[in-house]
Amino acid sequence: MATLLILLPLAIIMVLNLPFKDAFKRAAPFLGGCFYLLQAALVVFHPAAFWDDIYNPLEAFFAFECSTDALSLVLFLSIAIVGFVAVLVGAHALKNPRQRFFLINLLLLATVGMNANVMVTDLFSTYVFLEVTAVASFILIAMMKGEGALEGAFKYIILSVIASVMMLLSLALLVLVTGQTSFEAVRAGLGASPESLFVKMAMILFVCGLFVKGGVVPFHAWVPDVYASAPSFVSVFLAGIVTKVSGVYILMRLLVSVFGFEASVQQVIMFVGALSIVVGALAALAQRDFKRMLAYSSISQVGYIVLALGCGTPLAVAGAAFHLFNHAVFKSLLFVNAQGVEERCGTTHMEMVSGLGSRMPVTGWTSVIALLSTAGVPPLAGFWSKLLIIMALLNASRYGYAAVALFSSVLTLAYFLSMQRRMFFGKPHKGMENIREAGPVIVGVEIILAGITVGAGLLYPLVLEYFILPVQRVVG
Amino acid sequence: MPVESVSLFWTASAFVILMMIAGIYCILATFNLTRALIGIEILMKAVTLLLIVVGHVTQHTALAQALVITLIVIEVVVMVAAGGVVLSVFRKNKTIDVRRLRNLKG
Repeated sequence: MATLLILLPLAIIMVLNLPFKDAFKRAAPFLGGCFYLLQAALVVFHPAAFWDDIYNPLEAFFAFECSTDALSLVLFLSIAIVGFVAVLVGAHALKNPRQRFFLINLLLLATVGMNANVMVTDLFSTYVFLEVTAVASFILIAMMKGEGALEGAFKYIILSVIASVMMLLSLALLVLVTGQTSFEAVRAGLGASPESLFVKMAMILFVCGLFVKGGVVPFHAWVPDVYASAPSFVSVFLAGIVTKVSGVYILMRLLVSVFGFEASVQQVIMFVGALSIVVGALAALAQRDFKRMLAYSSISQVGYIVLALGCGTPLAVAGAAFHLFNHAVFKSLLFVNAQGVEERCGTTHMEMVSGLGSRMPVTGWTSVIALLSTAGVPPLAGFWSKLLIIMALLNASRYGYAAVALFSSVLTLAYFLSMQRRMFFGKPHKGMENIREAGPVIVGVEIILAGITVGAGLLYPLVLEYFILPVQRVVG
Repeated sequence: MPVESVSLFWTASAFVILMMIAGIYCILATFNLTRALIGIEILMKAVTLLLIVVGHVTQHTALAQALVITLIVIEVVVMVAAGGVVLSVFRKNKTIDVRRLRNLKG
């Protein structure tokens, strides 16, 4: 039944695009929002009838197998939350019903790709759904046709296709060695010939391709351009979930169920993760634009997830999954704040905006919550995920990497506090005295996301026991 | 695998590597967005060729055919999206020369 999470958004897209009256098309945001709420409810209430039933209507027509486990559930919930936020904020920001209609279609299409990516058990299907998500995001970025956005979209297209080429090369090599593309068969085939040069090359190529998609440091050039130039509600979606699913989650899934944790690959992944943390944080310190800073911060936080993943112990992978969920929540919150500021002030440049705290109290305070959660200050949710990651690193006797993870939290706090001081605290500039709080939709979304961050932090025993720690069994 | 298919594989691989170098050079050397897209096409074609050869060598021709057909469809979709972006760039700036578009710093 879990395949319904792929089929349902597809069905919604098809129904919306039937030649009905325009009045029906106006319902698009409503339908999209309902779908994401349904997905979130399915994960939270976890009806056994839905998740345990292995009925798969797609299997009758295609060689399409899928499976779900605790790790997929974390991803489904993150996708649902970020998608819901993107629908609300996008429908609020776009006044033209036609554009709104396109936005919902593209968001749902990207969701089809991501939900499928979370479930598939075949390397080639993984690639196909990666492209579905990628094409939807190309169009989302370029949708408003701003000059920077078009350029960012083109950069993203070129790098994304190069990543695809790397993954396909790797796929070809794996087919050469094992003759199959499904996870199980490839894993068995790799076990039979572990020292083959082709296998090493295939692993490295696939991992590099995923690094490009995830925007990890040596391959991060497109991230700041795209996040800063795309409309904020698209950045919410991209930074919150698209790059996380199409880069980090697939890396997780491949390491867990295909390649296995091998010492040399682990070394590379951990080094790249630590590099990402430090370079992202240092570059964020130097930024003068809010959205660009958020993009670099995103690179840095992805570094944490990748570092934990490279560690490879069950606890570390659970920590990575938790941080992925937290990152989806707090980074979306910060980009929603950026959307609110952009709407009222017309810019997100930190030199031109100041003293918004007294004018936009909700935006100011929710951004404080988000940045404290990012930096890992207790009792917010970000603290617990970073704690899990650092504990796992210490348990695995990776003291150097644990120190990097710990001290980079200070850097995170530094760049975010300097942003907060310049933008929200202090006296307003001339001409900024009449700024009002962002619209009710933005404020509502900000409060919901801040609530999730605080709630997950305070109720951490529940969240950990029912939601995060089961992920350990996936690795074991 | 039989000897003749091994030699076929290495010949084809050499050709694939040449095509990839050509594609990457094409992307790096040009200032024209359309030509960059052509470079991407060359890269994708190289990979497609490799998949076909791999299918032939390992006797999994049916699998390779299924993969390649899907791949071609995906490639067309990506190219249409990319072409749309290039067209919008042209309509906006009246040029597709990268040197006049560098608004974003890396």
